[in-house]
Amino acid sequence: MKKRYWRCFVCNDIHYGIAPPDVCPTCKVANAYVEITADEARKFLGGGPDTTFAPADFRKAIDRFAAGNEFMVNPDETKVATLLGGIFENEENHGFKFCPCRLRTKDWEEDLRLVCPCNFTIHETYKGVADGECWCGLFVRRK
Amino acid sequence: MAKLLMFHGRECPHCRKMMPLVEKLEAEMGIAFDKREIWHDEANADLMRSYRPVIASKCGGQLRVPAFLNVETSDVVCGEMDYDKLKAWALAQVSN
Repeated sequence: MKKRYWRCFVCNDIHYGIAPPDVCPTCKVANAYVEITADEARKFLGGGPDTTFAPADFRKAIDRFAAGNEFMVNPDETKVATLLGGIFENEENHGFKFCPCRLRTKDWEEDLRLVCPCNFTIHETYKGVADGECWCGLFVRRK
Repeated sequence: MAKLLMFHGRECPHCRKMMPLVEKLEAEMGIAFDKREIWHDEANADLMRSYRPVIASKCGGQLRVPAFLNVETSDVVCGEMDYDKLKAWALAQVSN
């Protein structure tokens, strides 16, 4: 099924998915989403506040992301610094925070799977591996 | 002499770890890897993409780095490994 764009008619949250949320996660109103076009979605999102991330901000974001999961950001700070440098260079040069340890294929759908954090929990380097980590090593299984 | 390629990324920690091992192997065995950085050089990236069926099939379905490729035989090994494993792979390539 193809993903589409949806807008909350109360608070203008934008959702991208095959179906809208039953309840808006921001304003908590039920049945609040109406389908909109990609162009409308871009306008709503593009006119919002500047949320530019420096590497330190991204680091905080992935720490918060990992906090509720069975994995954590790698305690090897040197490795993390190298990876964050590559991730941000890739965003500047290639448009997305691509994993520094895998090359993009130039297939749009395929390459979206390389954006950090990727869904590494299904990868062979992590799934079922006691000391598993994502391919690049930014995330490691929590001990 | 087998033509051996090493695809690597400048900010890939696995690649950084393998690079001195590759250089040690080159010095010890008198072989050369053609080292291609793939995130800051589009020609190198395109070269790696041209081997996508060969590399991806051995590397979890993806164009992972580091990836070591014997161009003639399409033998591939990827990821971080110890010196002995890398050496065994390289020896197998040059003895074919």
